[in-house]
Amino acid sequence: MTAFTLNGREVEVTAEPATPLLWVIREQLKLTGTKYGCGIAQCGACTLHVDDEPVRACVFPLSAAEGRSVTTIEGLSEDGSHPVQQAWVELDVPQCGYCQSGQIMSAAALLARNPSPSDTEIDEAMAGNLCRCGTYVRIRAAIHRAAEA
Amino acid sequence: MEPLNLSLTRRSFLAGAAAAGVALVVPLRLPAWARQGEASGFSQAFIRIDTSGQVTFLLPTSEMGQGTHTGQAQILADELGADWSSIVVGMPNQPTSDYRIPFIGQMRSVGSFGIRFWHDPLRLAAAQAREMLTQAAAERLDVAPAALHAENGFIVHSESGRRIPFGELVEDASSLPVPEEPTLRPDDQRTLSGSRVPRLDTPEKVTGKAVYAVDVEREGMLYGAVRLAPVYSAEVESIDESSVSGMPGVVAVVRVPRGAVVVADSWWQAKQAADALDITFTPTAADTLSTDEIDGMFREALERSDVPVSTLRGDAEATLSNDGQVVEAEYSVPLLTHMSMEPINCTAESTEERTELWIGTQGQDIVRMTLENALQVQAEQFFINTTYLGGGFGRKTHGEIALQAALASRAVEGRPVKVLWAREDDVRQGQYRQTMRCRFRAVLDEAGNITGMRIRVAGPQMGREYGIDPEQRAQATGNLANFDPFSLGGLSDMHYVIPNFVVEHAVVDLPIPLCPWRSIAHSFNGFFFESFMDECAVAAGRDPLEFRRSHSEGQERMLAVLDRVAEMSRWNEPAPERIARGLAVVESYGSYVAQVVEARVGDEGIDVQRVHAAIDCGRAINPGQVEAQIEGSVIDALGAALRQKVTIREGRAEQSNFHDYPLLRIGEAPSVSVGIVEIGSPLGGVGEPGVPPLAPALANALFAATQQRIRHLPLADHVQV
Repeated sequence: MTAFTLNGREVEVTAEPATPLLWVIREQLKLTGTKYGCGIAQCGACTLHVDDEPVRACVFPLSAAEGRSVTTIEGLSEDGSHPVQQAWVELDVPQCGYCQSGQIMSAAALLARNPSPSDTEIDEAMAGNLCRCGTYVRIRAAIHRAAEA
Repeated sequence: MEPLNLSLTRRSFLAGAAAAGVALVVPLRLPAWARQGEASGFSQAFIRIDTSGQVTFLLPTSEMGQGTHTGQAQILADELGADWSSIVVGMPNQPTSDYRIPFIGQMRSVGSFGIRFWHDPLRLAAAQAREMLTQAAAERLDVAPAALHAENGFIVHSESGRRIPFGELVEDASSLPVPEEPTLRPDDQRTLSGSRVPRLDTPEKVTGKAVYAVDVEREGMLYGAVRLAPVYSAEVESIDESSVSGMPGVVAVVRVPRGAVVVADSWWQAKQAADALDITFTPTAADTLSTDEIDGMFREALERSDVPVSTLRGDAEATLSNDGQVVEAEYSVPLLTHMSMEPINCTAESTEERTELWIGTQGQDIVRMTLENALQVQAEQFFINTTYLGGGFGRKTHGEIALQAALASRAVEGRPVKVLWAREDDVRQGQYRQTMRCRFRAVLDEAGNITGMRIRVAGPQMGREYGIDPEQRAQATGNLANFDPFSLGGLSDMHYVIPNFVVEHAVVDLPIPLCPWRSIAHSFNGFFFESFMDECAVAAGRDPLEFRRSHSEGQERMLAVLDRVAEMSRWNEPAPERIARGLAVVESYGSYVAQVVEARVGDEGIDVQRVHAAIDCGRAINPGQVEAQIEGSVIDALGAALRQKVTIREGRAEQSNFHDYPLLRIGEAPSVSVGIVEIGSPLGGVGEPGVPPLAPALANALFAATQQRIRHLPLADHVQV
């Protein structure tokens, strides 16, 4: 049994301790906004926050979540009102949208520690999030927009 | 069985819309140009307005990021005069003939057709509905229909300001005859189509609520992971189920073509067991195949003496002439894979009697036919729920995953099973963009104009795998013989004025399954042709823009995009310091795109700083989404041109995941400026045409900087990138 906080709610789950947190959250806890893309921390589609730090859930074992606070895209805001989500809407960033939960979670973590990042800082913080549709131009612009909000 | 609703509102809405009730229903009618052979009734393809004013339409274009659902809704709402928020877009859950694109014969989302094909039928039906509502209002208000107009979901009497909501007119309107030839709104009254309307799907895509196939949840669902033959032509030789039967969560090991699905209580458990499964595969003739061997086959094919001429303009002999300056070059491209961010997956509930699927597919009919052929699933037993696609790029037109999921479900008494490929399966299981090799010969006269050009392509003929008969297609397209558009598109139909012109295809069959990859043949022929045009311009000592313009006499659309991109990039002024520029222009899918790449080339590699793109796609229904598609295409194509390749060793793909098949990352993304040229052209596609010009424009920029001509992609094989 592993206990942790998920989007502000206490949860307890039973699974092999080595199971990546991604699958526990998607299949047992039924929050599917966090995506599988590579399984080896190369694409960032599974990015969520553990104690406010961005983490690749596809390689983060369930056992490491014990007692910690996990936030997924569903918990970033109740109604899509987080400044990053708002900026994403204003600039119509997503195309297929599959990577965008991870992009948004990485961007939110960046802005939480650096409220006004430069292009270079954005590129560094977002380097682990791939987008096959090539929405990078708008992602960069949307992070600047969110920083102004 | 309600259709899966993808946009705007909740499923229950469509369930209501599909139920019997008072409504105005107007079927879609195919435009004359698309009515080939058998007539299509379009009895299920319709727009429907109910008494609440809700406007529903079901169209077969899957939403994979290209924004088509929003564009289609714009076209409809505009012509109808509907309230934008009253539109519900859905997709049919049986691929009946009503939804088949006639010249493809299938329900499929390919060829950048979503807007350009459905624009006219949607608009016509919307105009018919508007006139019926208007007529009903005219009778109720006792005024002439001409005194009324439709606006924001109301029929309005302009003079008095009296207005009646659509919903109140639906019952009366539904008893009126459908007008054959309604009057379409003039363009200046079409305020939604032509505007930067926000995408319908953005809100749910920034909150994690959008449902992709991989997110589908069914009661009692199990999960499947696959173990498939690493060599595509291999079959299963033996499976020892006991090797995994004691592993946690494992429910079943299911044999499927070329491998097995391990079904378990969770995907992670299934994956662990699939990896541990003791399975062997049959030896095949392809077990020694390598990329080098394929290259050798292509080189040999280029020398064959028995290759028929596919395309001929003017005099074939003139292309062999030595009377003038002769330019010759050979190019090649590697196999590529699609790397949709959402790996291949499907959820199935399947028994002998009934099969229902949840899948993000571009090819509903291909999926249906796969199950019909393998399991004798009849059309009326087949239901498909098309979810959002986490990327498609051509790859999600195949049916193998649906068969794996259906077989897995049948093995567990019809329980729902979600079969998901690991990324490694997605990369290694074939369905690649073709590798091709191409040889050019051009003859230039004293003025430096091309008088003759001869092109021979060596490589597979993918169209045959999609039912294209190269001889029939040659006849239908004004070519001579052996014409496959999936191989020769962008060469045979290029738009330059070259008086003597020959294209041939030396076909080399490969034991590797192929699949359309965003812009198909144009993805490589654009690179081949536009790089070679640059070589000819250099040989003639002429500016690449002036050279292209002078070979485009009478080609208004070519000239329009060339001139726009020249203006955007200030081509006629010296390049900024340390910046090298390259130009290319390609027509594909009915749209013309010219691009200028601005790159800084130094010891640390190539830094693409900016790309200017001009597109003529006819009327831009949503300029913001045209820009988005071009921005994305540029970044997509740049990643491919710089680093991407699938190589084969001992019959199997050497790459497996993003670390060895790298996509472009954000730090390398150039700024992209898009210019939309509107000169009254017919509607063209937008999802694909931004891809082909990028690689040649980049290679041409590299040449401008270094005088080194890279003729073989990816660039990283030859230069520091």
